[in-house]
Amino acid sequence: MAIIEVKDLTKIYGNGDNAVRALDSINLSVEEGKFVAVMGPSGCGKSTLLHLIGGLDRPTSGSVMIEGKDISKMKDDQLTELRRRKMGFIFQFFNLIPVLNAAENAALPLILDGVKQERAKAKAMEWLQKNQLGDRSTHRPDELSGGQQQRVAIARAMISDPLIILADEPTGNLDTRSGDEIASVLRSLVSDWGRTVLMVTHDPRIAAYADRIIFLKDGKIVDDTLMSSDAPENARRLKEKVESL
Amino acid sequence: MKGQFLLAYRYLTGRKQRMVLTTLAVVFGVAVLFGMNAMLPGIITAFRHSMITAAGKVDLSISSKSNGPFNQSVMDTIQNAEGISVSTGILQRNVQIPESLGGTTDPITRSASITLNGLDVETARLVRRYQLSEGRFLEPGDTDQAVISYSLAQKMGKKVGDTLTIPSSQGKVDLIVVGILTQFESTTVDEVDVTLPTAQKILGLEGQITVIDMLLDGRVDKATVEKNLLQILGDGFKTGQVELGNELSATLKIGERTMWLFGIMALAMAGFIIYNTFRTVVAERRRDLGVLRAIGASRKTVMGIILTESLLQGIIGTFLGLIMGYAIAYGILQNLGPMIEVFMRAQVGPPEITNTNLVASILLGIGFTVGSSYLPSRTAMKITPMEALRPVTLVVERRRRVLRAVLGTVLIAFAIIGLLTNEIWVATFSTLIFLVGLVLITPMLVKPIAHTFGRLLAVIYAREGTLAQGNLSRQPGRAAVTASAMMIGLAVTIAMIGLVTSVFDGFIRYLDRSLGSDYLLMPSSLVLGGGNLGAAPEFAQRLESLEGISGVTTLRLASTQTKGAALQVIGIDPQKYPEISGLEFSQGDPQQSFSALGSGRSIIVNGIFATSSAVKVGDTLLLETPEGEKEYQVVGVAMDYLNAKIATGYISQAFLEKDFHITTDVLIMANRKEGADQTTVDAEIKAAAKDYPAFTLFDAEAFKNSQMEVFQSSMSMMNALVFMLAIPGLIAMANTLGISIIERTREIGMLRAVGSTQKQVKRMVFAESLLLSALGTSLGILVGIFLSYYLLKALNYAGFTLNFYFPALGILVAIAVGLLFGILAAMVPARQAARTVIVEALRYE
Ligand SMILES: Nc1ncnc2c1ncn2[C@@H]1O[C@H](COP(=O)(O)OP(=O)(O)O)[C@@H](O)[C@H]1O
Ligand SMILES: [Mg+2]
Repeated sequence: MAIIEVKDLTKIYGNGDNAVRALDSINLSVEEGKFVAVMGPSGCGKSTLLHLIGGLDRPTSGSVMIEGKDISKMKDDQLTELRRRKMGFIFQFFNLIPVLNAAENAALPLILDGVKQERAKAKAMEWLQKNQLGDRSTHRPDELSGGQQQRVAIARAMISDPLIILADEPTGNLDTRSGDEIASVLRSLVSDWGRTVLMVTHDPRIAAYADRIIFLKDGKIVDDTLMSSDAPENARRLKEKVESL
Repeated sequence: MKGQFLLAYRYLTGRKQRMVLTTLAVVFGVAVLFGMNAMLPGIITAFRHSMITAAGKVDLSISSKSNGPFNQSVMDTIQNAEGISVSTGILQRNVQIPESLGGTTDPITRSASITLNGLDVETARLVRRYQLSEGRFLEPGDTDQAVISYSLAQKMGKKVGDTLTIPSSQGKVDLIVVGILTQFESTTVDEVDVTLPTAQKILGLEGQITVIDMLLDGRVDKATVEKNLLQILGDGFKTGQVELGNELSATLKIGERTMWLFGIMALAMAGFIIYNTFRTVVAERRRDLGVLRAIGASRKTVMGIILTESLLQGIIGTFLGLIMGYAIAYGILQNLGPMIEVFMRAQVGPPEITNTNLVASILLGIGFTVGSSYLPSRTAMKITPMEALRPVTLVVERRRRVLRAVLGTVLIAFAIIGLLTNEIWVATFSTLIFLVGLVLITPMLVKPIAHTFGRLLAVIYAREGTLAQGNLSRQPGRAAVTASAMMIGLAVTIAMIGLVTSVFDGFIRYLDRSLGSDYLLMPSSLVLGGGNLGAAPEFAQRLESLEGISGVTTLRLASTQTKGAALQVIGIDPQKYPEISGLEFSQGDPQQSFSALGSGRSIIVNGIFATSSAVKVGDTLLLETPEGEKEYQVVGVAMDYLNAKIATGYISQAFLEKDFHITTDVLIMANRKEGADQTTVDAEIKAAAKDYPAFTLFDAEAFKNSQMEVFQSSMSMMNALVFMLAIPGLIAMANTLGISIIERTREIGMLRAVGSTQKQVKRMVFAESLLLSALGTSLGILVGIFLSYYLLKALNYAGFTLNFYFPALGILVAIAVGLLFGILAAMVPARQAARTVIVEALRYE
């Protein structure tokens, strides 16, 4: 069974003359343990799709099923719990809490879930170490580089063992090398930990780490491609795709 | 606790400057509330203490309800009453021994106060112990012999056989010291004991006593005897000692209420500052809060973070406020204590912490802080995760703004109506409503005000002015928050300066009106009621007969009890008094009131009494007099300077004699004949006054000047209050203004990125800061006018009739401060902004 099941998903912003149809009857299903990239030109609705799947925003019509449950009908508290326990978010601007240090930032979802601070922090340390940040745990975000901040954000996204990781242009604010690092961490989350990752990007090199690539245009899915396991081969095929669209 | 505490704590410690400033607001509020209220019990206790020790040594005392003298024949009635073993009558009065008679100079009263006791020698020693350290006790038939207390003997260096001269109603009298009491017997008061007839002669109270002390039979029930006694004696008597200075208690009560009002105002201000701070906090943290929501913080958790933060600040602020309040009270008592000690002859202890005050201060301090953050925390709760990821949409806010502005306008209208009513609590509430209303409409005012001042600015900063104006208009919400923080600081400054102006003016007016005569003769300690030694009417007659004097009028003093409160009664000549001196009326017509006084039992009461006992013109008062209860009609509410602080009523001297048996003058005012030579008249009066050493001659002008000095020094307390109320507001204002500029580092970096020069950026930041402070100052002036009117009302409520002055000076100061702060607040950020490395600014989140 698909872990994410999207049916006739439509999102319209504003009303009357100003109405913007950001998503237009999208249908999509994502299998568990897959790395899916969403690509497309700016303003085509990629972020909107991610937000709706993550329960951050509500659709105008259609439904989003997570593990078979329709989240578009959930109450705010249920949605919050779902986000806390089943989802991990990674943003383009990292969005760490500036007054908390790395360990506290990473531990936050557990702390918010009522886990004792010591336990939460111990677990955060594990994840920071996995991301080569063990020696930076007491640093605050402004004392970390962009790539390091994003790895703290990944630790934060992973700490509550979520089913799904949603990443909106996670490398958009990083240099090429840090971008590659982050992408391979995401890759390993899928390969080594069996998580499901949905990532928005417009960088073909980053998208090439995924198992499957979905192309959006004007709020509609225009292409859906499965990748082979050969990375260079994928990159080549992708380049052709981007140019053709 | 799902991380609220961790987050709250980290936000607080991560923004230290901000935390210190908001907490300071709480500290000041609590300090005023707690400190002032801790001070009053100290004073009141000293007061009570002095009374209890004075009454402590006998089983039972009776005195007249009016505390005035009564006929000594009552003693005989008592003697035969059941259950009483022995009794003795005493005539007791306070007398000032002036410097000229060897009184130890006291810096404040400039004389020594003693208690003169006229004792019935035969019975006195049966009731109370008079243990002597030296010499002998009084004997029947003694005339000018006196027994004095140990401390007085020490102070004045008197030994047995020495002569002690004290003022009397005839002028002065020489007493021979025949005995000195032991130290133990006279720890509390400096007393001079003479025989009853001698005292009656000295005080001009023939056949009168003020108190009867008694000891009861072994096994009788005190309450029964007391009841029985009062029944025999009838209405005009009470058990207990003569309570000198009870008239002050009304003043203290009002003082207490005023302090609460001040304290609550300071707290309300602190509350507003906190409210504003948290509004800024929530606005600033929208993104953080959105992220928290996105990663799974529930609405309740988000609200909890803000509330926990304010709770922490409330606890810290309240704790520090209590300490600071205590310190302030301690400091004031240290400075004021000696003065009070002279007046009340009791030690003023350290500030007292009553449970009520402590609990109320803590509850109000923490409550106000948390309460003020409640609305902002609701706003925080409503932040959606999407706000972490996208800019706020402006459309929705705009519609709500119009709605709020309408609501705000309605509230302001109500507040103005409320202010004009005569109910102080309604006015207080209205002031709060006014603030709320103004906060609601401020966002709508941003554009027009920014536009107006923007044009002005454009003259100096042509391009940057317009740019800055645009910046403000685009984000009216944010501008409004900053402006309202400024508003409150400036408003309080304006109101306080206005208040000081009004009080000062009122003071001068009272002084001029009450002391309109050329000469004043009075005991130096007259200002507080009770127990003064007067002069027989001959003194005034003698003065009137002097060559260079055109007119003389006098004040006579008695005390009474009405409506369960003590009232000082002043006897005036209703015809002459208004000619030579006068009263400042707040109710009733002066002419009619004075003529009513002449024609019947009518009374003019002062504001303090009218307020504390809820009395108005047309009411009837039942006054306790030595002749029983008498009905007096209230014909006016008015005050004179000397008695402004004490619950006072003015009646005619004719009725004072009839009902209170008082015929001696305590204050004499005289006018020079026109064209008479001043030096000659001065000398004439001085010669005439020589025989009455209790009276000091004051040149009215010089007296006024010396009073002005006293007043000015007491104004420093007022200034301390202004300071305590205004400073936190100004601090908050500087803080918010600075932050609002710093917040925009990113935008400014953007400007640099697209090609603005450093100079342009600097000028733009300046222009914006100036516009913001122009906005804040405009609002501050509005609220300031409102507030000064309100404060005046509060003072009027406390019994002082003051005129409203348009707070022009305050407004000028506010404009100056506003401008200065506008420039100061921009200085650092402007430099920073200009220097901002472009890439840094763009990274700043
Ligand atoms: N809150 C909003 N209000 C109005 N329009 C919006 C809002 N959010 C997004 N849009 C519009 O919806 C479309 C899709 O946006 P988005 O999903 O952010 O695109 P992408 O992430 O692919 O760049 C865009 O045209 C954008 O302008
Ligand atoms: Mg996007």
